[in-house]
Amino acid sequence: MTEIAGKLFTWINTRLPIVNTFERHLSKHPVPSKVNFWYLFGALAAVTLIIQVVTGIWLIMPYSNTEEQAFSSIEYIMRDVDYGWIIRYMHTTGASLFFAVVYLHMFRGLLYGSYQKPKELVWIFGCTIYLAMMAEGFLGYVLPYGQMSYWGAQVIISLFGAIPYIGESLELWVRGDYYISGITVSRFFALHVVALPLVLIALVFLHLVALHEVGAGNPEGVDIEEHLDEDGVPLDSVPFFPYKVLNALVAIGVFMTVFSIIMFFFPEGGGYFIEMANFQEANPLVTPDHIAPVWYYAPFYTMLRAIPDPLGGLIVMASAVAIFFIVPWLDRSKVASIRYKGIYSKIAITMFGVSFLTLGYLGTVGVTEVRKTMSVICTIIYFAYFLLMPIYTKYETTQEVPERL
Amino acid sequence: MQDKDKTRRKVLIGLTSAVGLSGLPFAATPFIAAWNPSAKAKAAGAAVKLDVSKMQYGQQIQVSWRKQPVFIVRHTEESIASLDLALPKLADPNSDKIEEPYRGLNPSRSKSPEYSVFSGVCTHLGCAPKYFPEIEPKPWDATWNGGFFCPCHGSMFDIVGRVFKGVPAPTNLIVPPHMFDGSILTIGEDKEL
Amino acid sequence: MISLANYFQIFSKGIVLFILLFYLNEIYAAEGGPCKDYGECDKFQYSLNDIESLQRGASTYINYCYGCHSLKYSRWGRVAKDLQIPEDIFFENLVFDKSIKPGDLMVGAMPEDSANWFGVEPPDLTLVSRYKGDDWIYSYLRAYYEDSSKQYGVNNLVYPGTAMPNVLMSLQGNQRLVCKDVPVLARNGGEKRDDFGNTIFKEKCGFLEVQDGTGILSREEFDTLIYDLTNFLVYVGEPSKATRERIGWYVVFYFLIFTALSSLLYREYHKDYNK
Repeated sequence: MTEIAGKLFTWINTRLPIVNTFERHLSKHPVPSKVNFWYLFGALAAVTLIIQVVTGIWLIMPYSNTEEQAFSSIEYIMRDVDYGWIIRYMHTTGASLFFAVVYLHMFRGLLYGSYQKPKELVWIFGCTIYLAMMAEGFLGYVLPYGQMSYWGAQVIISLFGAIPYIGESLELWVRGDYYISGITVSRFFALHVVALPLVLIALVFLHLVALHEVGAGNPEGVDIEEHLDEDGVPLDSVPFFPYKVLNALVAIGVFMTVFSIIMFFFPEGGGYFIEMANFQEANPLVTPDHIAPVWYYAPFYTMLRAIPDPLGGLIVMASAVAIFFIVPWLDRSKVASIRYKGIYSKIAITMFGVSFLTLGYLGTVGVTEVRKTMSVICTIIYFAYFLLMPIYTKYETTQEVPERL
Repeated sequence: MQDKDKTRRKVLIGLTSAVGLSGLPFAATPFIAAWNPSAKAKAAGAAVKLDVSKMQYGQQIQVSWRKQPVFIVRHTEESIASLDLALPKLADPNSDKIEEPYRGLNPSRSKSPEYSVFSGVCTHLGCAPKYFPEIEPKPWDATWNGGFFCPCHGSMFDIVGRVFKGVPAPTNLIVPPHMFDGSILTIGEDKEL
Repeated sequence: MISLANYFQIFSKGIVLFILLFYLNEIYAAEGGPCKDYGECDKFQYSLNDIESLQRGASTYINYCYGCHSLKYSRWGRVAKDLQIPEDIFFENLVFDKSIKPGDLMVGAMPEDSANWFGVEPPDLTLVSRYKGDDWIYSYLRAYYEDSSKQYGVNNLVYPGTAMPNVLMSLQGNQRLVCKDVPVLARNGGEKRDDFGNTIFKEKCGFLEVQDGTGILSREEFDTLIYDLTNFLVYVGEPSKATRERIGWYVVFYFLIFTALSSLLYREYHKDYNK
């Protein structure tokens, strides 16, 4: 019996590189032996993606993508479907935590120079994943067809209107109607559940393949490939299995604890994960008192509001995301990690972090004069961090990077 | 590595895997349960009520319960008395092969001696048998004494839904739970059951 | 000598200070709360395991509110089951339309043209506790006051100009806005006193006071009634909430154990490469 199984396995393996692929990506592939907690968010993002896909598939089943039924089908899931509420809260909590984890993952990249040569492609695939996630999150938020779904979509789609000449017809084309109707919901549904998940999964695949080609980084910014043992394996590395898997398991345990605390005790996340107004069905005739985007778009929304001109706002907002793509070429430093970079880099990244969080806060509250000034200042700091990077990374004095981890 | 460490590892691996795997059935529960009929489906499939006093003797009507046909037949005293005539032809006259809720209560198989209530879904492949109350020779049976004939594959049942020998249908037509409150028949619910 | 880096540091410290000041300002800049003229909403703490409170709340809702406000996502039988009321007792006492089946949605008892009665159609309240919040409901229902300028002779501090008449007035009594002499507060939070040590009073308006003997219920009884009603609306807003919080403890406990075990295992293997 085992002999037959063995033969079958060999037969397949000579035709399909199972063992090689498995060892290369999941078991033997070497990872730096000394990393810190910042290096665990990638694995957590993968876990969240799986949660989102599985719960998403289950939510498609009872959800109804029509104007009349969309909102009530959510309540149907919450009340009439056995355990539907667990599945839906997993999906809403997962959405917010996906962004939280990805933001931390990206910040890790900025901290430790995870975009530097030869990891530019890994970084670019990552930025594209983030872009796809933003679209995915937006489309998903429209589906319950609550007040915030409607008015949030209204604001975002109006952005297309700011594009000169084609704007207005583009808006109409995206909606397929004169308001955000069942037709819009229906097409957003198709994109949210089929098109973008396909793109996301393909991008995650590319992100990982590229990463495993160039090897994972570490907080020291040391190139572990410089010191190899007689088998050509880096001395400062351990095989992914079991060492890194166990490390990830601990992270997953902590993450799932946080996940369940939110999901079972604070599923609305204080109105940040599911906004209160979204418990009211969409009403194109009544705007809610206070339109705020979900927290993960808030920083960019603030930038949009900080600029008085819609087109200018759109350009600033788009650039704020687009600028991430060119970071590998903005950083001129000899070293990768913030640990060995100079004082300017350290100040710059702190300022960037503070301004990003402040922008996020500002996006969730109403506008006042002081807040408006604050948004402009933070937007300037945000862009200064990137645009001045070629200067401050080049001219600051860096410290010596050690040879080994 | 010392033996002590090896044991410790084995124990820890065992415990972690056990805890990890024990969570799987719980994690799967919502996903499996979500496929059960929802409260909406259950509401739509709730018991149906109808007044059967207006039915004529010998008449058969069809009502829909859970979107499935249920046959109701109002028998005359003669037809009940003539049930025994079909006995030699029947495969399972006492419904021993199936779950019969009111076995032995009435010859009609229902809670009322006058009415029969049974599912209109042939136990062979799910067609709806047709009612032929006439006592006359039929193409499918020269000594037809009234009953149901399924046009799909020729299964035959008597007027209270019991299956004939030598036909494709394996069992009698199913009797759903029901109750009578005077002439009000409720199908799908029986408080005494 | 001050280097460029020093200037840079001073500059950035300045900005950080500015941001800090901004946040301080944010904390003190009180925004108009959801309870409008009422000021801070009264805090409401739901207790979904208090079945009796929920039962009383359901009864109040069906007797006083359901005539106008449907609960269209909720099913009769589910409410009976969750509130542990036997179905026959529930249907006999709380369901007035005898053609209603347990599986039916609570779609309301209003005729189609109801919008004309109040100027607006009475909203469905299944999710009111989720889009308005329980604090808001609890405050709103207790903040009606006499105001002859309005159509129904009442107005509301929490929702000025509300279209809904005070249907609970016979229970609560006639509530009015009154002015009172209140102690003036000193800067340190204590009562301000004059030179002779007497507390200084100042007339302040906007207090709600029920005229004695106009209502069937005492103030405490009425507050309990509204508490129960709000509690019921919290339940209806999310019927699985109590279950959710109960299951939650087990799940969190499970993941804590899993985390503890896996971190022990991780440490054990960590010894291999970090001695």
